[in-house]
Amino acid sequence: MKRISCLALILAVCLLLGLSACGEKGPPAPAPASAPKILKLAESFAYASLDAHKDWNGWYTSIYGLTETLFKVGDDLSVQPLLAQKAEADGRTWTITLDPAAAFSNGKALTADMAARNLRRVGEVNERFSDVKDYVITAVDEHTLTITTPEVYPTLLTDKLTNAAFGIMDLDGSADLDNAPVCTGPFKVKSFEPEGTVEVARNEAYWKGSVKLDGVVFYYMNDDESKLMAMQSREIDGYSGVTAAAKEIYAADPASYVLTVIPATRLQFYVLNENRLSDQVRKAVNLTVDNDAIAAFLGGTVSPAMGPFGAGAPYGKVTKPKVDTAAAKAALEADGYTLNADGMYEKDGQVLTLHICFYHARSLDSIALLIQEQLKAIGVAAALTGVEDADSTYRVTGDYDIALYCMIADQAGDPYYAINALFRQGSDWALGGFRSDECEALINELQSETDVTKRADLANRIVQMVIDDNAFGFVGLFNKTTVTAPGVRNIGENSPFDFYAVGAETDMP
Amino acid sequence: MLKYIAKRLLHLAGILVAVSFLTFLLMYLAPGDAAVKKLNAQGIAVSAEVLEKTRADMGLDRPFLVQYGDWAFRVLHGDLGASYKDGMSVAGKLGKAVGYTAVLALGSLALALLVSLPLALLTALKKDSLPDYLLRFLSFVANSLPNFLISVLLMYFLCVKAKLLPVVAEKNLKGLLLPAAALAIPMMGRFLRQFRAEILEQLGKDYVSAARARGVKARYILFRNVLHNASISILTIVGLSVGTLFGGSVVIETVFRWPGLGKLAMDAITNRDYPVLQGFVLFSAAVYVLVNLLTDIAYHRIDPRVRQE
Repeated sequence: MKRISCLALILAVCLLLGLSACGEKGPPAPAPASAPKILKLAESFAYASLDAHKDWNGWYTSIYGLTETLFKVGDDLSVQPLLAQKAEADGRTWTITLDPAAAFSNGKALTADMAARNLRRVGEVNERFSDVKDYVITAVDEHTLTITTPEVYPTLLTDKLTNAAFGIMDLDGSADLDNAPVCTGPFKVKSFEPEGTVEVARNEAYWKGSVKLDGVVFYYMNDDESKLMAMQSREIDGYSGVTAAAKEIYAADPASYVLTVIPATRLQFYVLNENRLSDQVRKAVNLTVDNDAIAAFLGGTVSPAMGPFGAGAPYGKVTKPKVDTAAAKAALEADGYTLNADGMYEKDGQVLTLHICFYHARSLDSIALLIQEQLKAIGVAAALTGVEDADSTYRVTGDYDIALYCMIADQAGDPYYAINALFRQGSDWALGGFRSDECEALINELQSETDVTKRADLANRIVQMVIDDNAFGFVGLFNKTTVTAPGVRNIGENSPFDFYAVGAETDMP
Repeated sequence: MLKYIAKRLLHLAGILVAVSFLTFLLMYLAPGDAAVKKLNAQGIAVSAEVLEKTRADMGLDRPFLVQYGDWAFRVLHGDLGASYKDGMSVAGKLGKAVGYTAVLALGSLALALLVSLPLALLTALKKDSLPDYLLRFLSFVANSLPNFLISVLLMYFLCVKAKLLPVVAEKNLKGLLLPAAALAIPMMGRFLRQFRAEILEQLGKDYVSAARARGVKARYILFRNVLHNASISILTIVGLSVGTLFGGSVVIETVFRWPGLGKLAMDAITNRDYPVLQGFVLFSAAVYVLVNLLTDIAYHRIDPRVRQE
C-alpha cells in the first residue's frame, strides 16, 4: 500500500510539472484557407433582448454588427453619414436624406417611412429618449424625412441620430424583435442566448458591399481572469476593457498579442464646493492634485485629463496650470493659513481639513486616497467619506468640499451634453456653486449654434472659464484598451466609443 | 411519519414568512435606493421630480408593512413579481437559474463523494500511515483554498497549459467539469476529514471487535456494518452541503460563465433588484428546509432507533 501511495504521489507531481511546462508561446497559426473565418470576441455585458430601441440593447446590437444608425461618429469624433447621406437644418426642422442603396438583410429597401417609424418608436419605448415623443417626424418621400423639434436643436445628430439606441430595424419584417431583429448591418443574427452567447453570420446582402468575415461569436464573460485565460488559450481573438494586470502580461508577449490603447470618453473628475471653499483653497487643491501621478498609479488604465474632453477633439483644446506645490502653499498663505507645529495648515486655530466624498467605482476610491496623500504632502488634511448613491447624496446633503464622480463626458462627438450637465446653473451636476453670467451666455450660444467649428470654439472658452475658476478638477479619461490576436483588425479598437466593434472591414488571418 | 412530515412542512411555512420578512426589512433599511439604481441603469438624470415619480411607480413610497404585505399577497397568488432591472418575471429568472445550479450542485456533490468516501476509508484503515498523513494534509489544503484561487488554478493548468478543457465552455457535461471540480475540491477536503473521523469512531466500537473475533470478513464488517452505521452522520454532512450548494456559488458561476442562482443573486444585490433578491431568498430557504426534511426522512429509513423515537 505504501509503495502504491508513493507512486501515486510521484505521478501527481510529474503530471503537475508536465502540465505547467506544456504551454506554448508565439502567434497562433492562421486558419486553413478553406476554414470559415469566425471571429471570437468576449464582451463584459449581455442583455436579455436584441431590440435595439429598448434600454441599452442598441449598444450591443451595434457592437454585434446588426444595427446601423442614420449617422455614425468616426474615430476622429466627427459625424459621418451611414444609412443617411446628409442632414440639413432649417430652424427647428431637420431634413434627412437617406442613402437610396440602404437595405435590410432581407433585401427590403430602407424607406423614409420605416426610418421615421423607428425614430418614433425609440421615443415610445425608451425613457432616456422620451423627448422624441414631442418631435414631429414625417416621411416626405421615399428617401427623405423631416424631424421638427419643439426648439432649435443643433445637436440632434450627435444626441440622437448617431446614438446606438436609434439603430434601424425592419419593424414589419422582424418576426421577433427581441430575439432575431432584421437589420441593415453587415451581420445578421445566427443564434441568440439571452444574457449569454450571441452568434452572428455574414449578411450576404449587405447594402454597402462585401463583408470580410463569415461570422462572429460574442461570449459573455465578465470575469477578467477568464478573459485573460481565454485569450492565452487562444479561444477568443480579442476584447476591450483590458485590466492593468492583464495589460502587463499581454505587453510582455508582443508576438502573441496586439494591444491598442486610446483615450476614451469616460471622465473622472471632482467638484470643488464653492459654497464652502475659498478661491485660494480651490486653487491650492488644483495646483496640488497630480493627474500624471494618479494615471501612473492606475497602471495606464487612464490618461491624465486637461479638461472634460480628450485633447484630440476640436473642443478639447484647453490648458491648465501645471502641478506646483509651492504655488499651492502660497495660495493658502495668501488666504491667511499658516503652518502649525505638525506641519498642517490652519487658520484661527482650526486645521484646514477637506471633506472628500467618493463612491466605490471606476477607481474613484483609489483617486480619493491619492488626493488625500497629495494634499497631506503640502499640509492639508483630508477626511474621506464613501457614499452609496452619489447621485442623490451629493445633491441632497451638499456636505462635501470635494466630490468625486465619473461620467461619459463625450457621448457622441459633441461637447454640449457634458457642458450643459456640469456647468449650467441649476442643471444636474452644477452642484458646487459655480456661477458665471458670461459662461451661462456662452452655454446658451452653444445650445443653438449649428456651425461645428464655432461650437468647438465656444466649448473651449466655456471649459477654460471653469478651469480658471477652479470650479472643478478634471483628473483622468479612461483609456480604451483592446487586445487582439495578431492579424485581427477593425474590431473598434481605434474608436473611443464602446458601442462600435465589428463591421464589414473587420478581418482575421 | 406523515404526521411528522406535515408538522415539518408547517414549520417551513413559518420559516419562509420569517426569512422573507427579515430580508425585506434589511433591504428596506439598507443604504441605497432601488429607484436611483434603476434610473442610473437607464441613463436617466436623477432629478427630484423624476425620482419621486419613479419611486411611486415602483411602490417604494409606501410604508414598509404595506410594501411587504403587497409582496406577500402576490407571492401567495403565485406571482413573485418582475425584476426592477429588466422587467422580466422573477419566477422565470429563478426557474432558468435553478436548473443550472442544480446540475452544478449535484455534479460537484457526486464528484466530492466519489473521491472523498474511498479516500476516507483508506485513511481510516491506514491510520497514521504515510497515505493517511499525506491525504489529511491535502484535505487541509483543499479546505483552506478559496474558491476563486481553485478556479483560476484549474483553468490555468487544465485549459491554458494542458489544453485539456476549454476556458470558454459550453453549458454541457464538458463545460460542467471545471466548475464542478472547483466547487468539489474544498468539499472533498471537508468530507474526507469528517468521514474519516466517523469511520474511525465506528471502527473502534465493540461490535467491530466482536465481529472480528467471530471471524467475520473485514470487508463484510466494513461495508455492511461500519459504513451503514456511519451513514447517518455522513447523510447529515451531505444534507447540509446540498442546502448550501443550492444557494449557488457567485465566484465559480462568474468565473466559469455558469448562469446559476449565485450569479443571479449577486446581480440582484448590485442592482438593488429587490423582487429578484426576495425570490432568491425565499427559494433558498425552502430548499434548505426541504433538504433537511429529506435528510430526516432518510434517517428514519436507515436507523430503526429513529423510527422507534
